[in-house]
Amino acid sequence: MKRIITGNQAVAYGVMLSHVDLIAAYPITPQTTIVEELSELCARGRLKAQFLKVESEHSALAACIGASTGGLRTFTATSSHGLAYMHEMLHWASGGRLPIVLVNVNRALGPGWNIWNDQTDSLSQRDTGWIQLYCEKNQEVLDTILQAYRIAESLSLPVMVVLDAFVLSHTSEAVDIPSEEKVEGFLPPFASPNTLDPQRPGAYSGITPPEYYLEFRYKIQKAMEEVPEVACTVNQEFKNRFGRGYDLVERYGKKEARVLLVTSGAVTSTARWVIRRMTEEGKDVGGLKVKMIRPFPCEEIKEAIRGVEKVAVIDRNLSLGVGGILAQELRACLYHQEKKPPVFGFVAGLGGRDITPEVIEEAIEYTLRRSRPESDLLWLGLKR
Amino acid sequence: MGNPIVFDRESEMPDLPLSQGDMEWNKTGTWRTQRPFYENKTSPCNAACPAGNDVVSFILRAGEGDFEGAWNLLREENPFPGVCGRVCFHPCETKCNRSSFDEPIAIHALERFVSDFAAQLPGRKIEGPKPLRVPKKRKEKVAIIGAGPAGMTCAYHLARLFYDVTVFESLPFTGGLLRTGIPSYRLPREVLDREIAAIEALGVKIKTGVPVGPAMRMEDLKDFGAIFVSAGAHRSRRLRIPGERGRQVLNGLHFLQTIHLGEEVEVGQRVAVIGGGNTAIDVARCLIRMGRRPIVLYRRTRDEMPAFEEEVLEALEEGVEFQFLVNPIRIREGKNQKELECVRMRLAERDETGRRKPVPIGGSSFVIEVDSVIVAAGEEPDLSFLPRGVKKREGLVLTRAGGSTNVARLFAGGDFASRERTVAHAIGSGKRSAVAIDGYLRGEDPERILQSLIVGDGPSISVFPFFHGEGPSRNPHVVRFEELNLDYFEKAKRQSETKHPLAERVKGFFEIRSALSEKAALEEAGRCFHCGTCDECGNCYTFCPDAAVRREGKSICHEVDYDFCKGCGICFVECPRRAISLREEAR
Repeated sequence: MKRIITGNQAVAYGVMLSHVDLIAAYPITPQTTIVEELSELCARGRLKAQFLKVESEHSALAACIGASTGGLRTFTATSSHGLAYMHEMLHWASGGRLPIVLVNVNRALGPGWNIWNDQTDSLSQRDTGWIQLYCEKNQEVLDTILQAYRIAESLSLPVMVVLDAFVLSHTSEAVDIPSEEKVEGFLPPFASPNTLDPQRPGAYSGITPPEYYLEFRYKIQKAMEEVPEVACTVNQEFKNRFGRGYDLVERYGKKEARVLLVTSGAVTSTARWVIRRMTEEGKDVGGLKVKMIRPFPCEEIKEAIRGVEKVAVIDRNLSLGVGGILAQELRACLYHQEKKPPVFGFVAGLGGRDITPEVIEEAIEYTLRRSRPESDLLWLGLKR
Repeated sequence: MGNPIVFDRESEMPDLPLSQGDMEWNKTGTWRTQRPFYENKTSPCNAACPAGNDVVSFILRAGEGDFEGAWNLLREENPFPGVCGRVCFHPCETKCNRSSFDEPIAIHALERFVSDFAAQLPGRKIEGPKPLRVPKKRKEKVAIIGAGPAGMTCAYHLARLFYDVTVFESLPFTGGLLRTGIPSYRLPREVLDREIAAIEALGVKIKTGVPVGPAMRMEDLKDFGAIFVSAGAHRSRRLRIPGERGRQVLNGLHFLQTIHLGEEVEVGQRVAVIGGGNTAIDVARCLIRMGRRPIVLYRRTRDEMPAFEEEVLEALEEGVEFQFLVNPIRIREGKNQKELECVRMRLAERDETGRRKPVPIGGSSFVIEVDSVIVAAGEEPDLSFLPRGVKKREGLVLTRAGGSTNVARLFAGGDFASRERTVAHAIGSGKRSAVAIDGYLRGEDPERILQSLIVGDGPSISVFPFFHGEGPSRNPHVVRFEELNLDYFEKAKRQSETKHPLAERVKGFFEIRSALSEKAALEEAGRCFHCGTCDECGNCYTFCPDAAVRREGKSICHEVDYDFCKGCGICFVECPRRAISLREEAR
């Protein structure tokens, strides 16, 4: 059944269809309507989940951690400062190997106080051991929630599903809401490897001395390295069942294009439109959408970039003192390549400023014109 | 700690650190700097009840649907729940913490519901005390003068302590003012009868029609180890104005007594009722029911009226006229009617009672034409029958808290010995005297025993711990609204008793109010905060981060495991009703 819904509603439907057992959340714009919708679904009995009101984001994730350790499928959602406040618990969830799914609606961090779209909040948490999946459309949001539980529970790792503030969260699109039966065939009930049993008391995630800590980290890393393969398999299965899917990285536009524009998130939709138009005008440019940023799908990216002469990246985020984060990841990924295309690292649209077709076109034109960037960080739309 | 497990390589290791040992060796209680402990405290309603009812406990029981248990709890303190639920001015509700939140609990309505519920149970029996230190039968006899609420309450508790009690009543029937003064539209006689019958069933002997006087003098009561005088205040205060002794000038209490006994009273159409107390209001409302047109004349304003506000409101609803700041100075016979000459008053400075003193305005006299005048300007006790040597002050016998006088064996209470003349005060007084008389007869210091039973700031006492040798004992601290954790309460409408329509109720003496339905009673009891009393909500158990709150099945053990309690104080804060205390750890 297709319905016109916002990205946040798509999240809520995805969570409902995943038969989540426990939702713990604390409101923050632009996430709030997700848990509002979920609380309604719980109140109406459409979703038989425990809905836990907590006093902070830190507690929200802590509650999910407790419940997940006890074998429940859990969900929380947040944004920006809320995610930052969860920081300690993010580590605790991944270190505890808990398959929690969290939705972060991208929002800039203050000050200056800002509620608009910016990926710096989620990318600041890239080292916390969470799988990060970025979405382009509302349909993808709903579908990614379903896939996220499969991936998370296969590898005992938490997943962060990320969508853009307002551009997706509060904008309505036609979304196909699959039937419960169809989802049940794809996503089986959560069978936790851990069981809390009062008859066999134990302490999870207790003190770990230096002789073992390294090994535990090694095991998480190994699991992280398995993610791309597992995610591909899950996506393939999803495609077979639902007739649509989302690759970890997606090359679009002219196959043999020598300049490639790399984006993640909803800005990709605009980029697709610009690239199609410029290709029609005879410009030599294609596009690459990066859906998964953690773990960074290096092999898939190298494969997608093979033969490309120049790479332009538009980052709607900023690692202060360096530049756009996706550009940095890309440079690191390509470093050992024999033939390394130069990476043009553009930063645009921070704090929710629109990334219009003109902005994207400017980045592409700049890249087409020059053999190398004038600097590692190129600002788009900066009022100098 | 157990033996360490050794792993040689990562593949042997689990995915996450997991200790299968327990942490009981880690006695986190040693970190504690403050110690939580369970300690029930006093609710404002309990502290406010002149009869010393354990309000919070009976409502808690009622809220569980155990209405019979609630009734038994009420009767631990007070043999008249059916009466009090109807006629008490419920200071408990005035003090209810819930009134700072939405509306106070309808305590009187619950008390009435519970007693009416119990009255309908088949084969109910009155539970006596479970004596711990009282011998089965005591040889001492106690005499009680006056079968009103104070005397009957005293008799009730003494009988529960196995004394041989005889009540002497001058009128041919029991109940005192409850029968002669309070109209049946407020207190149906069958309610009074059943509660007095229950007292009699404990073995109390009642001799009616035996006034203290020439036939039976106080001095004749030699066989009795103690005498409790609760003869009430029946002597009407006179107006001391010309014409007061004329035809159709009646006495308020006498008027009420006559009509309540079903006898005919000759009274005109237009009736002036002089006074602003409950007697005046009762007289006026009875007159309305007799088809007369009463006008109440009071020398102060409505704000100073001693009558209960609710009664005044109902009187106004029923069509009673009022004139305030008016004082009668002369009653004359007119042509067809009586001429009641009055002066207008104004309020001057406050007098010793704290009320502003009314003073006449010169040249303001006027005449009201009426058929009858009924004087209800207050009552005094008749002290004439007391033996010589009893100390008195301002028309009252001098008594200590337990009612003892300066004369050995002689105790006094109720309206006879107090100016706080309500049913609840009388019941409280009778109860205190029962405990004091028991102490006196056992050769102990009655005042010391009373002191140990005080509720809140006193002077009311709770006899439950006295009778049972244990709980519910409470810290006398009265829980304030600010001490509650309101996060756990939701606003809810107060349930109220339905009243018969005005047009019907002025036509007769049937009871105005109907009891709450069972559903409404449960809802109303469910609104109670249970200030200071643990109702096993389980918050302490749920929130304790150290699992240091013990529970057996579903019930909280009211014990803290101090081996592990870190003294974080979360239980103290999350307890919605201050039933947990926190004190600094002594080390």
